[in-house]
Amino acid sequence: MIQLPIAHAGHWAVNLLYVLPLVVAVGALMTQSWRDKRHEKAEARGDKPADAPPAG
Amino acid sequence: MQRRRLLVLLVFVAAGLAVALPEAALAHGIVGREDLPIPKWLFGWAATAVLVASFVGLAVLWPKPRLEAALERRLASVPKLLDPICGAIGIALFVLVVYAGFAGTQTTTSNLTPTFVFVIFWVGLAILSPLFGDVFAAFNPWRAIARAVAGVAALVSRDGLPAPLPYPERLGRWPAAIGILAFAWVELVYSGRGDPSNLAVLALAYAAVQFVGMSLYGIGAWNRYGDAFAVYYGLLARISPLRWERGGLYVRRPLSGLTTLDPVPGTVALLCVLIGTTSFDGFQNGPVWGELSPRMTDAIAGLGVSQATALELAFTIGLLAAVLVVAGLYRLGVTGMQRESSDGMTATELARRFAHSLVPIALAYVVAHYFSLLAYEGQRIVYLASDPLGEGADIFGSAGAIVDYTWISATAIWYVQVIALVFGHIAGLILAHDRALAMFSDGRIATRSQYWMLAVMIAFTSLGLWLLSAANS
Repeated sequence: MIQLPIAHAGHWAVNLLYVLPLVVAVGALMTQSWRDKRHEKAEARGDKPADAPPAG
Repeated sequence: MQRRRLLVLLVFVAAGLAVALPEAALAHGIVGREDLPIPKWLFGWAATAVLVASFVGLAVLWPKPRLEAALERRLASVPKLLDPICGAIGIALFVLVVYAGFAGTQTTTSNLTPTFVFVIFWVGLAILSPLFGDVFAAFNPWRAIARAVAGVAALVSRDGLPAPLPYPERLGRWPAAIGILAFAWVELVYSGRGDPSNLAVLALAYAAVQFVGMSLYGIGAWNRYGDAFAVYYGLLARISPLRWERGGLYVRRPLSGLTTLDPVPGTVALLCVLIGTTSFDGFQNGPVWGELSPRMTDAIAGLGVSQATALELAFTIGLLAAVLVVAGLYRLGVTGMQRESSDGMTATELARRFAHSLVPIALAYVVAHYFSLLAYEGQRIVYLASDPLGEGADIFGSAGAIVDYTWISATAIWYVQVIALVFGHIAGLILAHDRALAMFSDGRIATRSQYWMLAVMIAFTSLGLWLLSAANS
């Protein structure tokens, strides 16, 4: 009987769940790093960063 | 730039392939099924959340280096006689282990030598060292013999002993890294590892290498950098709040001993060997290796070597590949850190400066992978102490003791493993954060440089949990 590879998808999916937190964390960290750099560049130029709180 | 991209790609492909394959069999000892309230993979998510929360907590609440150059104070005086007494006990145990290996029965579980070497010495001492300090240094039989011989030689010779050669700087901890890799090979690959007489021969060979090293470069230098076990237990002991010195016991902040680790060549390699070989131990108990190793063995046997040699070669390739994957992950984190810090330091230099943050991870891997071995197989020492040769003796009246596989449940072991992994990686994060604050003048750059180390810690945690879940399933 021919078994389709999809029959083992459960195994693969469970193991992929161990990688997913790493993928999410790396994505979040790269975004944060990019935002930090943009923030610093804006500060260096003397601009008010887009996400800075309003002056009170 | 091209090489960096290639490295990134290779590491992710290797790590992805390693993780995205089916689950597996049995690791150490007889471990039953766990009764867990949530699926195992969810522990990976929870561990990641804890690491991220710890990272944020460190960024906010830990603004200045606290571990670098932390002070220690003298806790108590220790009689100077203790050192030679411990050394004598170490020599006696070494002689007993070698003698039992040659003279005792050659059945693995009935002879003292295999259990003493692989469980009590390799795992037991690794767990004792971070708690009580460098216990092995006191009992190190090779150092004790060398000291005794040097003492007698100094008394006998008229002109005094010649000064040892200066320890070559470029050698660093490479001898220790090679020694630990060789031990791991014996433990995980060598087909004659269960034979007590083979272990006795190897123990004598190891001792001979240590005597040559100590006579060339001096007892102190060789024990600091060359003796694989002295270096290994010495590294783990730096986690401990206790530091022993001849004549005194000192107390310090836990982990602070690691900040004074001299980052000589071979230090990163040694730590990658420790983490990589332990990872392979878990990996080889899983289904991926179960499917891959027969194919590799057949392919190697097709080249004309015997099936047994082909099997050892296949496992050797697996062992080295595991070390390279761990080294690649760390290198990736360091390369990212270098890009963020932009202060002109090379990646190799940064890798060495942050190598101390890998020590708690190495410990976490050892505890997570070998705790069940110690918990179950370690009990054999009770009957082996009474009958070390396995020939029917009953010296202490405990020869009839049996191994109790029910004293701790598989669920409890799983929790110990998860806690060890999470705490080990939090400790690694703390050390890396503290070092970054000391190195980078701007706190923001220090925190940002650690994004990459956080990713490395999450990768090691996920890998460790996946290996454990596959091995225990």
